[in-house]
Amino acid sequence: MQTTFIKPVLGVYTALFLLFLYGPFVVLGILSFQIGPNGGPQFPIIEWSTYWYQHVFGLTPPSRIAPLPIYEGLARSLTLAFMTMIVSTVLGVMSAQAFRTKFKGSDVVFYLIVLGMMVPGVLVGLGLALVANSVGIDRTWWSTAFVLHVVYTFPFAFLVMLAIFNRFDPSVEEAAWSLGVSPIKTFRKVTFPLIFPGVLSAMLFAFTLSYDEFSRTLFASGRDLTLPLAIYGTFSIEIHPNIFAFGVLTTLFSFALLAVYAILMTVSLRRAKRLAIQEDA
Amino acid sequence: MTIASTTPDTTDMTPSNLGPLRSKASYWLIAPGVIWMTLFLVVPLGMMVYVSFWSQTTFKIEPILTTKSWETFFSSDTYLNALWTTIRIWLLVLLSTFVVGYPTALFVGLFVKNKTLATTLLVLCVIPFWTSFLIRVLAWRPMLGKEGAINIILQALHITREPIEALLFTELSVIIGMTQIYCVFMVGPIAFMLGRIDPNVIEAARDLGASFWRIFRTIILPLSMPGVIVGGIFVSVMVLGEFATAAALSGRKVNMLGNIIVTQVGSLKWAFAAVVGVILTILMGVVVAGFLRIVDLKREL
Repeated sequence: MQTTFIKPVLGVYTALFLLFLYGPFVVLGILSFQIGPNGGPQFPIIEWSTYWYQHVFGLTPPSRIAPLPIYEGLARSLTLAFMTMIVSTVLGVMSAQAFRTKFKGSDVVFYLIVLGMMVPGVLVGLGLALVANSVGIDRTWWSTAFVLHVVYTFPFAFLVMLAIFNRFDPSVEEAAWSLGVSPIKTFRKVTFPLIFPGVLSAMLFAFTLSYDEFSRTLFASGRDLTLPLAIYGTFSIEIHPNIFAFGVLTTLFSFALLAVYAILMTVSLRRAKRLAIQEDA
Repeated sequence: MTIASTTPDTTDMTPSNLGPLRSKASYWLIAPGVIWMTLFLVVPLGMMVYVSFWSQTTFKIEPILTTKSWETFFSSDTYLNALWTTIRIWLLVLLSTFVVGYPTALFVGLFVKNKTLATTLLVLCVIPFWTSFLIRVLAWRPMLGKEGAINIILQALHITREPIEALLFTELSVIIGMTQIYCVFMVGPIAFMLGRIDPNVIEAARDLGASFWRIFRTIILPLSMPGVIVGGIFVSVMVLGEFATAAALSGRKVNMLGNIIVTQVGSLKWAFAAVVGVILTILMGVVVAGFLRIVDLKREL
């Protein structure tokens, strides 16, 4: 059979594909351990050191290479991501809850929301900057950039919640209503604990997308830079391995976030399972 | 992330008479989201169209309607070149993400029978997305440079004697970088569609003596088309709106429409930036509509 040799060929291809995906990171990771301050951002590694990691944290003696201007940006980006996460998730849960009953114009509303994640950042960024200019509002990271971050992440939260509600058994809620529990209390005590794993995923999406958001922020935030904008600023000048070290650190931060999510997810799924068992019993 | 599996048509719409408040409550629940998206998405896009007809003086724009900015765009070689560059890069990246991604999708979606392994492979494809977009772009610099990893490896293997300088700060580096960044959006949807092919169909074709190539052409490829279309839409929308990769990997030599917008905003030419924005929007609309004409997604998914 011909397929007997096609499968290993595709297997090898897939391995090469993964190499293509990961190769640049591996190289970036290796070069971040270049000796400093005279080692450049290329091979060969003159000597292995953690100089550039110390440089990122400001632990090295002053040299001709300026420290990365990231600290204020980091604080802003974390605050912005947190604000975006809260608002997007709330909007996402509310909208998805609304979609559980058919209402007039639901098709249009669906596409309106999904449009937010499809329209490129340059276009909305430019549009909102124009609106802000003509209304006479200052563009800042916590106002104009923030609303655009929500425009971008709210659709993700909405789609996640829609998928969760699709698999949701409404009979538990109906049971609560028939016992005379108010809809709001039902949501708090019955619905919310059951959809909580979805809420966590929506929060994770919103936080990470906002934390890393670049093109919308570029136009919509004013003089105070967020972390991605500060990083982008360093691209135009000569690059040094300190930015590679920073890349490794920020990747580790993302994985830490993912790990926290995984732990919370396991705990909440376990709790949901325990609740289900109690109901059955 | 498939859009169709979550379209309103497929949601459970049974109105419950036990929840009398629900149908009216729907409007209250949806209102904040709709208002937010209208104010901060629809209005800005409308404003962009409007401002593209404003008069531009050196440092400011005035709401006096004119088509001057439009005339400038269509009479300038620089801007028409940017339009052409955008279309060329989009087509090349679309093609390369398809060519590079399809075999992987084929392996993951069709050949790997073990569900855990298939999921693991897909997760491995997604993990790079947990790092910053800009770091992903930057990571190509030490790969492609004159003293970069690829040149070192090529020379060590005696494939080339001199380092290839054309790898970095050219259109090629932009295309390589974008292919790596966006090909996962191609792999995912295609692998999803391939995974849904009934193995019995392929088995039957094989029993009737069809060669693999023939099975691929007449069964696998047509059935995976919706995945290709969804992937194509994702990649197209993202590549057309790009500017950061083009700037960082071409040394600002390759200018896409996105780059023009950034420069024009930088020099306060708002009306002009708006014209480029509207042209980009139209281009995207045409591309997405074109894709949707090839395959009726709502029916296929």
